[in-house]
Amino acid sequence: MHGEEKLEAFKYTVSTLALLSAESRPVTKIFLRCAWFTMVVLAASIVTKSGKDCCLTFSFPSILIAVLVSRQFVEMSRIRIEGLLAAFPKLVGTGKQHTFVETENVRYVYQPIEALYLLLVTNKQSNILEDLDTLRLLSKLVPEYSPSLDEEGVCKMAFELIFAFDEAISLGNKENLTVAQVKQYCEMESHEERLHKLVMQNKINETKDIMKRKASEIDKSKVYFISILHDVHLDMRKLRCYLHEPLYCTLFSQIEKNRGDKGGLMALSGPRRIESSFNDMSISNSGSGFGSGSGIGLSSDVESFSIKPKGRPSASATAPSKGLGMKLGKTQKTNQFLESLKAEGEVILEDVQPNVAQSKSSLPSTDPVTLTIEERLNVVIRRDGALNNFDIQGTLSLQILNQEDGFVQLQIENQDVPGLSFKTHPNINKELFNSKHIVGLKDPNRPFPAGQNDVGLMKWRIQGMDEASLPLTVNCWPSVSGGETYVNIEYEASESFDLQNVVISIPLPALREPPSIRQIDGEWKYDSRNSTLDWSILLIDHANRSGSMEFVVPPADSSVFFPIAVRFTAASTYSDVKVANVIPLRDNAPPKYTQRIQLIADTYQVV
Amino acid sequence: MEKSCSLLIHFDKRSQAMANEIKEALEGNDVEAKIDALKKAIMLLLNGESLPQLFITIVRYVLPSEDHTVQKLLLLYLEIIDKTDARGRVLPEMILICQNLRNNLQHPNEYIRGVTLRFLCRLTEPEILEPLVPSVLTNLDHRHPFIRRHALLAIAAIYRLPTGEQLLPDAPELIEKTLSSDQDLSARRNAFLMLASCAQPRAVAYLLSQADHVANWGDLLQMAALDLIRKVCRANPGEKGKHIKVIISLLSCPSEAVVYECASTLVSLSSAPTAIRAAANTYCRLLQSQSDNNVKLIVLDRLNELKTSHREIMVEMIMDVLRALSSPNLDIRRKTLDITLELITSRNIDEVVLTLKKEVVKTQSTELDKNGEYQQMLVQAIHSCAIKFPQVASTVVHLLMDFLGDSNVASAIDVVLFVREIIETNHKLRVSVITRLLDTFYQIRAARVCSCALWIIGEYCLSLSEVESGIATIKQCLGDVPFYTATEEGETADASKKLQQVNSSVTVSSRRPVVLADGTYATQSAALETALSAPTVLPGSLASPGNLRALILSGDFFVGAVIASTLTKLVLRLEEVQPSKAEANKACTDAVLIMTSMLQLGQSSFLPHPIDNDSYDRIVLCIRLLCNTGDDVRKICSQSCRQSFAAMLAEKQFQENEAIKAKAQISYAQPDDLIDFYHLKSRKGMSQLELEDEVQDDLKRATGEFMKDGDDANKLNRILQLTGFSDPVYAESFVTVHHYDIVLDVTVINRTKETLQNLCLELATMGDLKLVDRPQNYTLAPESSKQIRANIKVSSTETGVIFGNIVYETSNVHERTVVVLNDIHIDIMAYISPATCSDVTFRNMWAEFEWENKVAVNTIIQDEREFLNHIIKSTNMKCLTPLSALDGNCGFLAANLYAKSVFGEDALVNISVEKQADRKLNGYIRIRSKTQGIALSLGDKITLKQKGGSN
Repeated sequence: MHGEEKLEAFKYTVSTLALLSAESRPVTKIFLRCAWFTMVVLAASIVTKSGKDCCLTFSFPSILIAVLVSRQFVEMSRIRIEGLLAAFPKLVGTGKQHTFVETENVRYVYQPIEALYLLLVTNKQSNILEDLDTLRLLSKLVPEYSPSLDEEGVCKMAFELIFAFDEAISLGNKENLTVAQVKQYCEMESHEERLHKLVMQNKINETKDIMKRKASEIDKSKVYFISILHDVHLDMRKLRCYLHEPLYCTLFSQIEKNRGDKGGLMALSGPRRIESSFNDMSISNSGSGFGSGSGIGLSSDVESFSIKPKGRPSASATAPSKGLGMKLGKTQKTNQFLESLKAEGEVILEDVQPNVAQSKSSLPSTDPVTLTIEERLNVVIRRDGALNNFDIQGTLSLQILNQEDGFVQLQIENQDVPGLSFKTHPNINKELFNSKHIVGLKDPNRPFPAGQNDVGLMKWRIQGMDEASLPLTVNCWPSVSGGETYVNIEYEASESFDLQNVVISIPLPALREPPSIRQIDGEWKYDSRNSTLDWSILLIDHANRSGSMEFVVPPADSSVFFPIAVRFTAASTYSDVKVANVIPLRDNAPPKYTQRIQLIADTYQVV
Repeated sequence: MEKSCSLLIHFDKRSQAMANEIKEALEGNDVEAKIDALKKAIMLLLNGESLPQLFITIVRYVLPSEDHTVQKLLLLYLEIIDKTDARGRVLPEMILICQNLRNNLQHPNEYIRGVTLRFLCRLTEPEILEPLVPSVLTNLDHRHPFIRRHALLAIAAIYRLPTGEQLLPDAPELIEKTLSSDQDLSARRNAFLMLASCAQPRAVAYLLSQADHVANWGDLLQMAALDLIRKVCRANPGEKGKHIKVIISLLSCPSEAVVYECASTLVSLSSAPTAIRAAANTYCRLLQSQSDNNVKLIVLDRLNELKTSHREIMVEMIMDVLRALSSPNLDIRRKTLDITLELITSRNIDEVVLTLKKEVVKTQSTELDKNGEYQQMLVQAIHSCAIKFPQVASTVVHLLMDFLGDSNVASAIDVVLFVREIIETNHKLRVSVITRLLDTFYQIRAARVCSCALWIIGEYCLSLSEVESGIATIKQCLGDVPFYTATEEGETADASKKLQQVNSSVTVSSRRPVVLADGTYATQSAALETALSAPTVLPGSLASPGNLRALILSGDFFVGAVIASTLTKLVLRLEEVQPSKAEANKACTDAVLIMTSMLQLGQSSFLPHPIDNDSYDRIVLCIRLLCNTGDDVRKICSQSCRQSFAAMLAEKQFQENEAIKAKAQISYAQPDDLIDFYHLKSRKGMSQLELEDEVQDDLKRATGEFMKDGDDANKLNRILQLTGFSDPVYAESFVTVHHYDIVLDVTVINRTKETLQNLCLELATMGDLKLVDRPQNYTLAPESSKQIRANIKVSSTETGVIFGNIVYETSNVHERTVVVLNDIHIDIMAYISPATCSDVTFRNMWAEFEWENKVAVNTIIQDEREFLNHIIKSTNMKCLTPLSALDGNCGFLAANLYAKSVFGEDALVNISVEKQADRKLNGYIRIRSKTQGIALSLGDKITLKQKGGSN
């Protein structure tokens, strides 16, 4: 009895050790990697319908179903997926008019294809509508790739099918693709690669040409330099493998020196040409991808422009708080819905102010008081130069960081412009403003609201301006000549503003390649997706009040190039509204404040 | 943790290629041959070969290839090879592929770049990924959306690695930038997903800043947004308020998938009535608009879930749900009816019944295949409506009685059962129903319907006129007596022979032992009757259209017995209500005449088989009763039958109530639960969120990651010793049985002072088991131990046995030494679980299944009930026979047990035991299943277990 106990104890210690070592494996890591999205396709598979025996070498009759192809999109062990697929044929009932089966853990969505089942294994939370879409796409793909819809055909094209599945379901997530797109992705026919190869070929040919020419020149001058012919030959070999500039220079300086001795001058142009062409080549090789389109020099501009659209969401995000009455019927219904939800005890926050993103995009101000004066231009000019619409809207908004700085009044200064009319916020003391041009709250005991948000205090409009006061005019002259359309564009800026970040976007007919630019003041960028040509000038000041560009495209109707949209900003405004002083209401020192004054072209079009 | 497996390809052993052939082809210049060889190599790898020598060949000859297919296959190859050594460190040679990957990432072909980026998503080794990070990042700005999409995925995947934050510290910022600037929908979705999983606050902020535009986002992005909302709200319920607006704006989105997702999100976030109503409305709309059956069924599932959690709201939607009946699919109709039946209230019952009636009428007018079943479903639905709300019974019962004569026997039976119940419970309707029944009785064709209708006539004809017309109806249906006269014999001999053939053919096909509802075998059964009830042209009939006559002449004496008892009851009642004694006597004699003629027919040679003893006895009993009437027997006849029927109904009602009570019991709070003070807490919508972690678990379960933390003590009990203690190698294993797989954790200990080389655990299996991995060789130092894990796949429930050897070599002895291991038996019990099915399905399956295993009872247990309980306990099955039926001490017990395996196989068991005079139990246990495996292994199990009584 005693001995047996001992053995037992031995056995238990062994097992506990085994357990401990098994437990310490990292389990969480794997889990994290597959829990991307709560709705995923776990696997896409093709299995045989009959589950016929395919394992000839096994000694016992196996009734395992034959899995022909299966692609898993999340990490799962082999035993698991095989188990899932093996369980499937037993779960499929016959004579049912629906094609999904649910088990405790997974859902199978399947489609019979002749003697096979095409099968998606998903989790049960997965969206059935999406899965059916995906399945439909796959079921169209399978016949595209498999020559015959049976075991043999599928096995033969197993890898191609896996590639196609990969495209159709990107790591378990649905992609909105068509069969044609998937096929295109799988064929991998790349225009850019062809281009790249072509360019490489050209480069090689060019270099060969140059080599030949050089060789013949050297041949010619061989008469003079028989003594160094041996060297040249040596170097020619090096040149063929890849030409190296310094080597060449030394070679030719040697030649020149020799020539100088002999008094010959004729071959001088040769080396220069070769040098310049090598420079070209080295530039295009160092550019990251040949086909990346935009030149290297432009990248900085692109960044500076991309700041601009970021500013927009802020405007649209604050917009609804102003005009609640202007909402359409549908939103009203939503409101009812929200009201009733609220009544039932749900907490609904209307107008959620994004906090993180917002503060990221517009620099968080550190000054206690920030004043933003902004004028937005809405201008539509006709091609002939007449004005369709010219409208300026200005806002004065205030941002106060701390509550205690909120007891202030603002002294406003502005130029008297005809057609200028102010409107103040209802809480602003109108009398005070009309008499003294001071913006202050009606109730002097209340501070201005504090926080990160801008508070609109005042709006103004300027109407009835004429063409003469336009900050920028753009003239576009398309003309057809021969097989091409020449487009001349010029701008003229008025003296009164210095414009920054000017972008003139000209719509183009659908082109295969970027248009060829003949002449340009400033920089250009071709956006092939929207097929527009963006002409950008970083700054227009007294140095370049006017500028022009000329480019050539295949023949097109002149109306294609309109409407031209112009974007720019400027640091001064029409009304020249300024805050001259911030007057504290309590007896403390006037808070530090900053002003941002900006003129923005909201819509500036030539139609 | 087992290695993950990303692809499976069917591998045909016949086309197996040798490693050196592959190598040659790979080294050659022929691209086609290269592709082919690479494919073969991948297949071999998938099949468990390791091919270590191939790697260098591939690096040297395949990596530089320019062909796109080769490159893609190469990525697949890299995906499945082991990139780490046994201790989890990255193999040094893997660095060789980095350069190639980097080139691919800068390839001019956008698709090569894309697939390479996608491949990176599947890599987990930071050592390989690290040098590639800059190249991945440059792809983020590529012009082609295909590349951006995959670059985003790759960045997300890298960032999610344990060391991801060091590799890509600024990934969230980068991705946020891309998200706001990119135009491609799929790329934005990927970016958003990345933020949602790695930098949730950023994703939330972006979502909120774009809240007004979400409705214009593409469907892919909207789905991701909804997913994020659900995640955020689950983690932090306080955030919910901010997001509800977004969800509402998405509810009116054109994409159906998004709308569906919206509805389920809404349900998971809020239990406010408006939200639930909106979700339910959405579901109903989808139910109407989607033509796909799958969608309909799943939407119905969702509605069903809503029904259990928010019944009061679903009650309002009942008519919308009912509209789904317009679908021709039976499953959908059944589900719809199930849902609606639980939603009926006194307020909507009229409307519902009206719709159901319309549907019933529709089934009559149109001739479709499945209509019979549908009709039956509708009848059952109306039946349960009428039970719940007796006031509607009057409006439907007459309509339904039209179906009594229907050719669809199943629905006719349902109708007659319905009528029987109504007439008992709803006394007001008795007169009209009985009149109607007597009027339509002659239309009834099916024997079972007939006997039930006869019973109703016998029990519920109370007034004089009713009793008289009852007797008259039966007589009319029987036609003139006698049924058979000796003189006819000659004339009908030929015809009867024919009939005999017909009958015998019918009976042969159904001459199988049939289990009655109580589990006993019966030779005379309902199935037989229905088979015989097919209208046959009767020989020598006296041109009577009587349905009863036809039944009796076809040999159905069970109906005969029912007729006899009905007549007896009616005559006895007539004696009570008929003032004129003469009339009563006349009726009595008529009845006796009918019964005797039935007996005469039964004993004649006219029919292929004579009357069975049971029916004979019953008819004779009836005659006796009529001839000499004792008060006790009379009482039994006229009252007790009805009483016991009423008692049965009451019992049924009681049981239903019990079930409802039991259900209600479950939802009661535990004594130590937190109490929600409803009035103090305005946010009542949040109660459910706490339970909502199941969504995450859902995916875990689906991928099989769900590790149950079984307590270790329990685990220790399942340890199997595989070798002896004195063997040079000690091995023990512990067997974990998952659903479809078995994992053997084998601990091997070298107990010698020598190093064991090429130690290999060889396993072989019997039954439906299959080894997944190939055995590997290990070297075991003196007195050290090793953990070996083996996976075995199970494909059906069958007791499997795993055999094994441990084979090893030592340095001084060169031949291999073999240690034979104990067998490991895998228990079937791990795979079956108790299940329930209806009586009818059980019987159908019993009739249908081919494999029967009959085990004789051999036990020391002396009590029948105790024996039954023992079997139930040891087989893990569920007893279908109700407890009430097992009551009493009659020395005889029959019960049906049922279980289902995880593979969906059914296991049926019938136990019939009888107590012998010597107090021993005697009898048989029969096991039936579709496959041989279950029947055999369950039989073995029972044989093994039944002896051990007490333990």
